[in-house]
Amino acid sequence: MADEKRASLSGLTETEAKEFHGIFVTSFIIFTVIAIVAHFLVWQWRPWF
Amino acid sequence: MWRVWLLFDPRRALVALFTFLFVLALVIHFILLSTDKFNWLGGHAPPSAAAQHMSTLPEPAKP
Repeated sequence: MADEKRASLSGLTETEAKEFHGIFVTSFIIFTVIAIVAHFLVWQWRPWF
Repeated sequence: MWRVWLLFDPRRALVALFTFLFVLALVIHFILLSTDKFNWLGGHAPPSAAAQHMSTLPEPAKP
């Protein structure tokens, strides 16, 4: 504990949290882009409004 | 925003998120499959533009 920064509730350090956040945001953006493409294709197939 | 991972354990958060998204996707896909218009596995053809103007009511009787 003395050589490590204060333990967080999740057990991650700030560096680990930032690193994981970067991966998370990148994955979220990729997921969102795929979802937008899928919705665009379905709209071309049969628009729902 | 990254501070959220100091609060929530990423492993549990990811399991919860993936479970939620999977169930949500399953529900949405089954709802769509249950409709006529958005069932992509055949089923009933969607009403064509011409059929949409057709009425199920009979023509009024002419004297």
